[in-house]
Amino acid sequence: MLRRDFLKAIAATLVVYQSPLLATSSKVNKNQPKVVWLMLKGALDPLHTLVPTFETALKDLRPNLYKSIDGQCLALDKGFALHPSLANLHQWYQNKQLLPISAVYSGFNKRSHFDGQDYLESGLAAPDLENGWLARAIQVKNKQAISISQSTPISLRGAQQQAKTWFPSYLPDAETETYQALQTLYQDNPLLLSRLQEGLAVDELLAEQSVINKNKGNFINLSRSCGQLLAEKGTDCAMLTLGGWDSHKAQAGQLKRQLSLLDKGLQALKVALAEQWDNTLVIVATEFGRTVRENGTRGTDHGTASALFLAGGKVNGGQVLGQWPGLADDQLYQQRDLQPTSNSFDWIAAALQQHWQLNQQQIKHVFPAHTPYKGKLFRT
Amino acid sequence: MQSSSKQTFNNAVIATQRFSLGARANDLKRIQKIEKQWLLNQLNFQPAVNFNTALPHSNNILKIQSDFRTAQRAYRKKVKEAEKLNLTSDSQNKQQQSAIVKNIKAPKNPNGPLYRKLIQDTLKQAITADNSFNWRCLDFFSNHFSVTAQNSTMRGLCATLEREAIAAHLFSSFEELILAVYQHPAMLIYLNNETSIGPSTRYAKNNRGLNENLAREIMELHTLGVNGGYQQQDVTELAKGITGWSVGRPGKDKKQGFIFRAKMHETGVRTLMGKKYPSDGINQGIQMLKDIANHPNTARFVCTKIIQHFINDQPPEALINHLTHHWHKSHGQLKVVFQALINHPLSWQAPLQKYKTPREYVISTYRAITLKNIPIQQVENALTVLGQRPFQAGSPAGYGDLQEDWDGASALMARINWISNLMTKKRLQKINVKKLIETLFADTLSEHSYQMITRAETRHQALVLLFLSPEFLRR
Repeated sequence: MLRRDFLKAIAATLVVYQSPLLATSSKVNKNQPKVVWLMLKGALDPLHTLVPTFETALKDLRPNLYKSIDGQCLALDKGFALHPSLANLHQWYQNKQLLPISAVYSGFNKRSHFDGQDYLESGLAAPDLENGWLARAIQVKNKQAISISQSTPISLRGAQQQAKTWFPSYLPDAETETYQALQTLYQDNPLLLSRLQEGLAVDELLAEQSVINKNKGNFINLSRSCGQLLAEKGTDCAMLTLGGWDSHKAQAGQLKRQLSLLDKGLQALKVALAEQWDNTLVIVATEFGRTVRENGTRGTDHGTASALFLAGGKVNGGQVLGQWPGLADDQLYQQRDLQPTSNSFDWIAAALQQHWQLNQQQIKHVFPAHTPYKGKLFRT
Repeated sequence: MQSSSKQTFNNAVIATQRFSLGARANDLKRIQKIEKQWLLNQLNFQPAVNFNTALPHSNNILKIQSDFRTAQRAYRKKVKEAEKLNLTSDSQNKQQQSAIVKNIKAPKNPNGPLYRKLIQDTLKQAITADNSFNWRCLDFFSNHFSVTAQNSTMRGLCATLEREAIAAHLFSSFEELILAVYQHPAMLIYLNNETSIGPSTRYAKNNRGLNENLAREIMELHTLGVNGGYQQQDVTELAKGITGWSVGRPGKDKKQGFIFRAKMHETGVRTLMGKKYPSDGINQGIQMLKDIANHPNTARFVCTKIIQHFINDQPPEALINHLTHHWHKSHGQLKVVFQALINHPLSWQAPLQKYKTPREYVISTYRAITLKNIPIQQVENALTVLGQRPFQAGSPAGYGDLQEDWDGASALMARINWISNLMTKKRLQKINVKKLIETLFADTLSEHSYQMITRAETRHQALVLLFLSPEFLRR
């Protein structure tokens, strides 16, 4: 039996698995709003990314770091500028498709990466590692999600069959007969059975694309695959993760590479999304910020407020939002960090609410501890 | 053979699967009824684990790395000079010049080969070990004190932490273990302590100064745990207490490996979690770390992680209390803690409680197929493909240790494809499947799995099903 026929056969006979991923005839609805949630792990330095060039204190606070980008940043409004590596994002901004927000935090005010990440993924006042905000959102709106990772991230935990994972494999596939036999072997094991069926469905979907470069797991390729999965097959949202932001030492070089990777990856995502870009909301956030002052090893240590980015074809971009707290000693959080002036989840909640039309009750369920920002985040 | 009334080998299967890296020929019969003793005996092995001692020590590696950097500088200088040579001359000279440049050989980066040799040795030892419980303990602590090969220097050094600091103190006191880890070059360099300088010393100029990275991860990830009752102030105080804990530079410092740079140490009284520590050079930091190692929150945090690793994602409260009780009674003797783990009935409850990590899965697979020559490069590749390349966790928290960290759909697909490809190897086609089931599971395999495997249409498929059965995927 050909693999595709086999998959169609299991799709027809199995009630446990009803994913639109398997419905090979599904047509993409042109107006289906899509969401990409990109989490930057390791704590992005906001002052080196969304640079407040109007702050004359920067030169003294971070002599080496600021020198490395001084005069090369890409100008935005209000005296803000993007790091020189973010050329594509700057173009998006000029097309009014990128909306940077300064001085945000998740509500987490300690300095542990891992707790901060749990907080940002869970979106609850007391983080629950089995209950992510994107999972709650896709549940109330009955959406389908895919995570580009080897296992389900916290953001998508709790949504059971509505959240799948995919990650490129370096190996040739097993034979159809093997998958069939495994189906039977796992008949009494619901978890393994569902994982197997889910894996087969997603593999099939990407095999049809035949454009996926299976041999590369780097961020640019993962972003491209992510865009293709979203664009062609009627999956409603996707999660991507990019680590490598914990810049305690020699930060200038590290962030130059990282931001360039981020910029190229996001551009690959946009290109892969093609016309679906106009229906897409991209949310980019990080667990917390970094110290305002440069440390003793030309890097920065864990801080509090960071930057948040919203992007997409219809996002009300071309402006920098968020109230700027200032960099004077008495304006800093605990005299060391950028002071947060708004909560990331107020922005994320508002963006989701406006993009996916969540009503009051739904938004309370997804973000019980937050109040959505009131302004318009999309152009009509 | 598969009658439900027997299953006399349950405990032997638990001893070899849950606590170790899988049974080999005759293991189950040999250890039946003396399962606990078999595990407890391993705690007395001297040394606890055996490495190939001919491989380089971290001190050698630091020297090799230093020589490489020197060679690199010389190389760059030579190339530059050659390029300057004939800047104004004609095309013929240009050709000669490029020939000269081509002939200057770039020095080879030694770190990739060092990394591979060292991690391959560990894998090979674990696959062939009789005391594979000890190797599981080593893996546990190696991941607990996770270092990542994030750059060239760390690639060469990362594997030496477990070989030198952890293996030597695997079953000694936790205090000795952490002191060895925090005085090891790999950890000091990975978490930037080797360049952390007391802020009021005269070296704290030109933007060089305190780095809190190691201090924070010590308290958060290695000892007290994130809710362990410390504040930001305590992190800074510990960071200051261990300023000057550094690594000797070959050719520049007299001593190799760990050195205490007294001049870069922040002198003065430190206050950690309410206790004052007088200025006492290196001893100040040692005393702070000893107190952290023996703090009740550390006992609870580490014991919980041990149980989570060996027994169950949801550690039973009674077992946590049992281990911490023995921890306190013995002042953190890890041997006593592991004895307590082995001796408690909750550790021996029904099998299949944990989902194997890729590392456990790959090693137990290679142990089961007992090849004369282990294709070690393939073992290494398998870990990469299945998502757990050694020392590539990318975060000091190490690799995840829970089912949800590894049981995603595409992770299962990767295991299926890997096993399916591995089992096509010609030499594996000789394996007697029934005998292999006997070796690994004796009479404990479920009726359904047993029937599926033994009635598979080809030997290849039988092997694939065996290694992908719920009984082999879990432990």
